[in-house]
Amino acid sequence: MGKPKRAGRELAYVLTLPLTAAAGLVYLLIVAMGVLSSASGIGLPLLALCVPGARGLGAANRRLAGLAGVRVAKPAPLRLPAGLFNRLGTALGDAAGWRAIIHSLVRVPAAVLAFAAAAGLWGFGVILLACPLWWQAALFPALTPGGWPGALLASVIGLVLLLAAPAGVHLALGPERMLARTLLGPAPAAARIRTLEETRALAVDDAAAALRRVERDLHDGTAARLVTLAMSLDMVREELAEAGPSPRLDRARALLEGAHHTAKETLAELTDLIRGIHPAALDNGLEIALTTLAARSPLTVALDADLPERPSPAVETIAFFCTAELLANVAKHSGARRAEVELRARDGRLRLRVSDDGAGGAAISPHTDTPTGTGTGLRGLADRVRVVDGTLGLHSPPGGPTVVTVDLPLRA
Amino acid sequence: MRIVIAEDAVVLRDGLCLLLSSRGHDVAAAVGDGDTLAEAVAEHRPDVAVVDVRMPPTHTDEGLRAAIGIRRDHPGLGVLVFSQYIETRYAAQLLADGARGVGYLLKERVADIKDFLAALDRIAAGQTVLDPEVVTQIMGASRRAEALGALTPREREVLAMMAQGRSNSAIAEALFLSYGSVEKHVTQIFTKLGLGPSDSDHRRVLAVLRFLQA
Repeated sequence: MGKPKRAGRELAYVLTLPLTAAAGLVYLLIVAMGVLSSASGIGLPLLALCVPGARGLGAANRRLAGLAGVRVAKPAPLRLPAGLFNRLGTALGDAAGWRAIIHSLVRVPAAVLAFAAAAGLWGFGVILLACPLWWQAALFPALTPGGWPGALLASVIGLVLLLAAPAGVHLALGPERMLARTLLGPAPAAARIRTLEETRALAVDDAAAALRRVERDLHDGTAARLVTLAMSLDMVREELAEAGPSPRLDRARALLEGAHHTAKETLAELTDLIRGIHPAALDNGLEIALTTLAARSPLTVALDADLPERPSPAVETIAFFCTAELLANVAKHSGARRAEVELRARDGRLRLRVSDDGAGGAAISPHTDTPTGTGTGLRGLADRVRVVDGTLGLHSPPGGPTVVTVDLPLRA
Repeated sequence: MRIVIAEDAVVLRDGLCLLLSSRGHDVAAAVGDGDTLAEAVAEHRPDVAVVDVRMPPTHTDEGLRAAIGIRRDHPGLGVLVFSQYIETRYAAQLLADGARGVGYLLKERVADIKDFLAALDRIAAGQTVLDPEVVTQIMGASRRAEALGALTPREREVLAMMAQGRSNSAIAEALFLSYGSVEKHVTQIFTKLGLGPSDSDHRRVLAVLRFLQA
């Protein structure tokens, strides 16, 4: 950024200061009214509107601060929970809103300082520089430099002031910049949470991608080689079958039979292992993978999926393994004959619902060191779901039916 | 018979070529992706194409899509699709345009070359060969379907084996039945599914199709 450009932008910023500072003070007044009347209960809803509303003020100030050369990150958006009272509480406690309100109060001296500096340097500079003009034109009869030397001296002083103005205003804007930086961005804890959320999402996606790579390498490399090996062993076996009878050949045949069998078993185990790492059909969408899962289940499983928007791979993987585990649980423990799997993608969330017509009475066990029974399986699922800020709900009265709902974000 | 192979893992592709040519088959081309497969089939006019489901560039289902494409473009061409995993949806897509001369097998079945070669012969002859795994999955998917409700459990068993491409004598052997009673079951299946007497092979294919679509 060139110096003249910066000076122009900072001057523009200073010129907006009276307006923004005044707007902030008016807002403060409203907030103060809300606080004072909150004892009577009327003020609380007003305050609940004002506090998150101050984010708008903060956003305007944050964008304007860009003129003064301050880049501030946006605070995290306000997430309102369900329920009127919860919403009220969250709105009243909105840190970003309160910080914007505090900013509009404490910025007043800083704004005055910056405005005074700009007025003094730019304003007086121009006036003094133009001294010979207005003296000659006798615009201000009360003011007179008292002759040409005085007028020229005033001009020179005016020039010096103007030359010093960019640096002076920049300096005087220091407190304004500092306040914008500390109060208009995310709070330190919020910024930390944001970083953690972002890095966690990266870690989750990374892990999913790594598993996919491992799966592909095993599938394209190891598994293909094993198939070829087993096939070759079978070809050798057929060749040997043509040869005549001999005790040594018989022993070789038996060994070969065993080797062929082992190769096939290894291949089957590897195939199961690969499927457990990452089901390949997931790459083509959750629905295709779940169709196979439903068909392979010993129960009658009705699958109803409606996914207009595709979740991220990590979320698809979690949803798939949740369904697999839940269906396995149903088959193992509930005594159910049918299960229903319902999958919906709506409003940025993926909702999975697995219900059965079994005996019910399932519970999520608290954390224990000895994993046994269904409870710990559900506990493990709940933990897995939590990795992406998802939730797992269980409704399983004795006598059934059991309904498990899993709520996940579409993007981790 | 003349065969075109599409498999991206070189070691397995070479192994298949060796196996098939050592058994007197003519491997006209061995390619590594779906587009080249379509070209090779158009050029060599094989009796059967052996296609891996997962191939470059996306390694998901391009082999399947290529198989469906060449079946549409070349009626009468036998297609054997094989894969590490059987996906119910893929099976349904592959069989949507009819089950004549189609096979869908797990890759590991290649390890039993006698069965594999027999499957190729049957596909070339226009029959259907489905992996037992496909049959299990489709049976699972159609358990609630009413279409097969009229069949007795034994008849369902026989039908499932027909879907695997087995002959009546092979079914008799596997289910420990006499050849005659298998024939009786098959006739019962045809009657219950409303398939009138015509070319018996064709009726078999139709019965399998009915079974798959249920």
